[in-house]
Amino acid sequence: METEQLVARLSADLAPVRRLPAPGVRLGWWLLASVPAAGAVAVGYGLRPDLAARFADPAFVVEFGAAALTGLVGAYAALCAGLPDQPGWKLWLPAAPMLLWLLTLGRQCLDVWLRIGPRGLAVTDDLMCLPAIALGGLVPALAIVVLLRRGGRFRSLHACFCGGIGAAALGAAALRLYHPQDAAVMVLVWQVGSVALLTLVAGPLGRLLLGTAERRPGFLAR
Amino acid sequence: MADENPEWREWMRAAQAGDQARYAALLTAVLPPLRRAARARWPRAGAAEIEDAVQETLLALHLSRHLYDPSRPFLPFLFGIMRFRGGDAMRRTRRAATRETALDDLPETSAALATNSKVEETLDAGTLRAAVERLPPGQRQAVALTKLQEMSLEEASAASGLSVTALKVATHRGIKALRKLLDGSD
Repeated sequence: METEQLVARLSADLAPVRRLPAPGVRLGWWLLASVPAAGAVAVGYGLRPDLAARFADPAFVVEFGAAALTGLVGAYAALCAGLPDQPGWKLWLPAAPMLLWLLTLGRQCLDVWLRIGPRGLAVTDDLMCLPAIALGGLVPALAIVVLLRRGGRFRSLHACFCGGIGAAALGAAALRLYHPQDAAVMVLVWQVGSVALLTLVAGPLGRLLLGTAERRPGFLAR
Repeated sequence: MADENPEWREWMRAAQAGDQARYAALLTAVLPPLRRAARARWPRAGAAEIEDAVQETLLALHLSRHLYDPSRPFLPFLFGIMRFRGGDAMRRTRRAATRETALDDLPETSAALATNSKVEETLDAGTLRAAVERLPPGQRQAVALTKLQEMSLEEASAASGLSVTALKVATHRGIKALRKLLDGSD
C-alpha cells in the first residue's frame, strides 16, 4: 500500500478517542487504590506495637521512606514508560530511591559490624517476608496492570519491571508497619531480596498480561 | 524542534475529537519530516525500508492517538513512536532479509533452482551413453537416431535403411532395455 493511500485509509478510519491523563494524574489513581490496600494488609496482620517509637527513629523513617518512595517512583516510571514522548531517564528514576534504601540498610549493617563484628550480621529464616510482601503488593500490582493496559504499549517490558518494583516496594514498606524485624541485614536479605525476586517475576508476567500488540484497524487486520 | 508547526498540536487535538479532515492534513504534513528523520536514523536503509518504517509509524500513531497530550509538542511524540515502531519494522525487514534469497538474480526456470544441476546432468549423460553402448546393435542404432539425435521416424528410416515399423519396435525395445539397465525397473 502506498503511504498516501494509508494516510487516506487512516483518516477515514478515525474515531474520537478519550485522551489519556498525564502520568502524574494516573499515579494519583494508583495511589488511591494501592495505599489503602497495602494499609489494610498491615492492619490485617496487626500493626507492630512499637510503631510510634520506630517512627521517632530517623534511620527507620529514612529506610521506610526510601521503600515507600521506591514504590511511588517505580509506579510513576511504569506509567511514563508506555508513552513514546517521555524521556528515557524517567524510566531509571526508581534506581535513586532504591539506592537510598540499599545505602541506608548498608550503613546500618556496617554500624552493626563495627560494634558487634560478623556475629551481628548473621542471617536467619524469615520466610514470611516473601508472601507478606506479595500480598501487600498484590492490589498495587493489579492496579498498575490495569493502568498500563489503558496506556501505550511502548517499552512494555520496562514498564512491567518498573510497575513490579513499585508494587513490591510498596508491599515491603507496608511490611515494616507490622513485622517487627529491624535487623538491617535481615531486612536487606529477606525484604529487599523479596522485592527483587517479585520484580523479576513481575516483569515478564506483567508483559504477558499486558500483551504487546495494539489492535490494528480493520482494513489492516492480519 | 525546528520542523514543528505550531498548528500540529491543534490538528492532533482535533483528531482526538474525530476531525478526519484535520487528521488527514496532519498526517500529510508530517510525512516529509518523518521521512527525513527516518533517513537520518537509519542512513543505510533502502527507500522501501524507510517507507515501511514511516508507514508503521503512522499506523502506531493512529493506534496511540489517545496518548498524546496537546500541551506538549507533537514531533517528539511522533518521533518517539518512529523510534519504537519504525525500529521494530526495520528489525523485521532485516531479519527477513537474512532468511531470504532474491529471486531476481536467478533465471526464471525452476530447473535453474536445482543445486548441482550441471554436475548431475554430466553424470546422467555419461551413464546413459554407457547404457546405450550395451544395447544390441539394432536397438542401439534406433535409440541413437530417434532419441539421441532426435530424428523423426522417416529421417531415421532414410538414414538407417530400416522400415518405420522396424524402427518403432527397435526403439521401444531399446528404451525398455535402457530402463532395465539404468534403474532395474520394467
